[in-house]
Amino acid sequence: MTIFEQLREAIAATLKLPPDSVTELTRDEDLAAWDSLGHINLMMALEQTFDLSLEVEDFEKLRSVPAMIEYLKGQGFE
Amino acid sequence: MRKTQDQFENLLTARSRTELRALVAGSGIKITLPQAQQVVAHAQSLEPVVQALRLGIVHTYTSDLLNPWLDLAAVLQGLKLEPYHAPYGLSPHEAQEDSGLVTHKPDLTLLLLRREDLHPDLAKPLVRFSRPQQETLAAESLERLRDVVGRFRAQDVGHLVLTILPSALSLGLGIYDAQSERSESVWWANLKARVGQYLRESVQASLFLDLDDVLQQVGRQAFFDQRLWYSFRFPFGVDAAREVAHRVVSIGTAIKLPRAKVIVLDADNTLWGGIIGEDGVHGIALGPDYPGNAYLDFQRRLLDFQQRGFILALCSKNNPADVDQVLKEHPHQLLRDEHFAARRVNWLAKADNLQSLADELNLGLESFVFIDDSDHECAAVRQALPLVEVIQVPRQPVHLPACLDSVARLEVLSLTAEDLVKTELYAQERRRRESKERAEQGGGDSREYLLSLSMKMTIGLNDSSHLARLAQLTKKTNQFTLTTRRYNEEQMRAFICSRDWLVAHFSLADVFGDSGIVGLALIRMVSPERAEIDSFLMSCRVIGREAESAFLHTLLRRLAESGVKEVMGSYIPTPKNVLVENFLPRQNFERCADGQYRRDLVTAPAKAESEFPITVEVGTSR
Repeated sequence: MTIFEQLREAIAATLKLPPDSVTELTRDEDLAAWDSLGHINLMMALEQTFDLSLEVEDFEKLRSVPAMIEYLKGQGFE
Repeated sequence: MRKTQDQFENLLTARSRTELRALVAGSGIKITLPQAQQVVAHAQSLEPVVQALRLGIVHTYTSDLLNPWLDLAAVLQGLKLEPYHAPYGLSPHEAQEDSGLVTHKPDLTLLLLRREDLHPDLAKPLVRFSRPQQETLAAESLERLRDVVGRFRAQDVGHLVLTILPSALSLGLGIYDAQSERSESVWWANLKARVGQYLRESVQASLFLDLDDVLQQVGRQAFFDQRLWYSFRFPFGVDAAREVAHRVVSIGTAIKLPRAKVIVLDADNTLWGGIIGEDGVHGIALGPDYPGNAYLDFQRRLLDFQQRGFILALCSKNNPADVDQVLKEHPHQLLRDEHFAARRVNWLAKADNLQSLADELNLGLESFVFIDDSDHECAAVRQALPLVEVIQVPRQPVHLPACLDSVARLEVLSLTAEDLVKTELYAQERRRRESKERAEQGGGDSREYLLSLSMKMTIGLNDSSHLARLAQLTKKTNQFTLTTRRYNEEQMRAFICSRDWLVAHFSLADVFGDSGIVGLALIRMVSPERAEIDSFLMSCRVIGREAESAFLHTLLRRLAESGVKEVMGSYIPTPKNVLVENFLPRQNFERCADGQYRRDLVTAPAKAESEFPITVEVGTSR
């Protein structure tokens, strides 16, 4: 699975949405479920799915799929 | 990573909710948030939920991030979580009649409080205060807590569950704390003991859920997610959130679902390592060394469950003599003969044995938890008896002792004196039965056997000191009861105070022990010469010992002595009381045209006490 595919699966499962509602361009304001609570849940999901540890300061930067993909690539995920 | 992924995918192959629950509890897998949602979806696709669990949450820190974990824990138990999170804070309004909480009609209300909610000074270092000041602080904190709990208890908010969040900071005095006379940990232990006592003694339907124990289990590092705590006021790391949710839902399970009552155990590779039939009593693993020490600890844990009020039974494919030898002779065996309420050691199918254990113990299969090491046996029982909760013990003995720790249905919310002696009562009954079987095999008749029990019946007349038990008997007895009329304590008190009624109960003791109060008769005086049996019932525990006849005839003799000439009775059939269909005719009552039964005490006097294998003593207290 590509990073995006893994990400889509994690986001869709966490926010309880169908996978195709998440695209490579999706950002928080596109999805009603991606509210402030949903965002914290997504941060937890991201950590647990990719086995990494985010800082609180990262949370605000990761409000879109492109930002997440970029972050993960920076962490060495292919 | 690969291994946990495989374990997770294995969860999604479960074919029933019970199996899924057992896999989650048994695998020890740390489910991630997206996985939790997948498990919830899978569980929902397997079977519909049994019941809603309405949960009210009053909180002084962020609580809604617990929802996914509460959902997961609930769906595994067959419950649909319906949460209500009150507005942030301890507003007195939430404890009023028209509040969001009260109108949510919760089954369970969870109070998530921080330490400083009990007293503002608890936000400061405790060691600053002298011992007398610390005592004042404790008294004032407890007072505040009584006030908060009392206000919520005054409303119908279901079971009230109190929690106090541990401090995110480690002890102020560090490693010296426990030795200090101003010790923070000692102060809190003391306060918790007082909180527990207050709830136990003064607050109905309440529970103190100790989060310090969760912290101990997952560790301080894992308990607090410092990022979420300092930035969003949500304290729990994922391990703690999962565990807190599990414990809260366990309380909901105890409130909403049928209670588990019996733990049925396999023997080989469950109670000890190895196979007794092959390895022999000295070859099985049980004792101070690995792996025997793990089995020993598991047995110790089973004795803990007995103290929680669960009864233990044995179900093993073995030669009875082999198992007997371990129970009697193995130097390290902790579970002895007297710890098992019933046993099935034979070569029959386990499902058949479980069914026959249910019949013998007079308990439904939904109250059974079955524990076995074999894939095959577990699958076969799951298939044949879906009501039974099946738990497969872990393959590695080291994981055995804790394997039942997260089984929600083995949690209890209270303990009564009866719970503590329950297995003893069942074990007495089993020894009686075995003694009877031996008597019969030896060619003796059952009369001889009954005499060997040296039974002594104590009858109480119009005695108001056991109202709760007498009312409970009318409510719980379904089989040996002529009319199945249910009465509450107040009605029972009224009968006892009335001149027109005779309220008689009995208890039965024998060489094996005392049964407690097990029989009740309510007799109404229609006229000075005519009495009518309103209710006549007996617990199934004492069936087959002629107690019912000895009891009835003692009452008939007393009625005759007081001038009664005829006694009427009736049998009201229900789906469950066919056992007593012919009780009255067998006691020489004649059937009348209207279907009632009548016994003429003049032409057919009651039998003498000497006709029964029981010594009777009558006490009175009106």
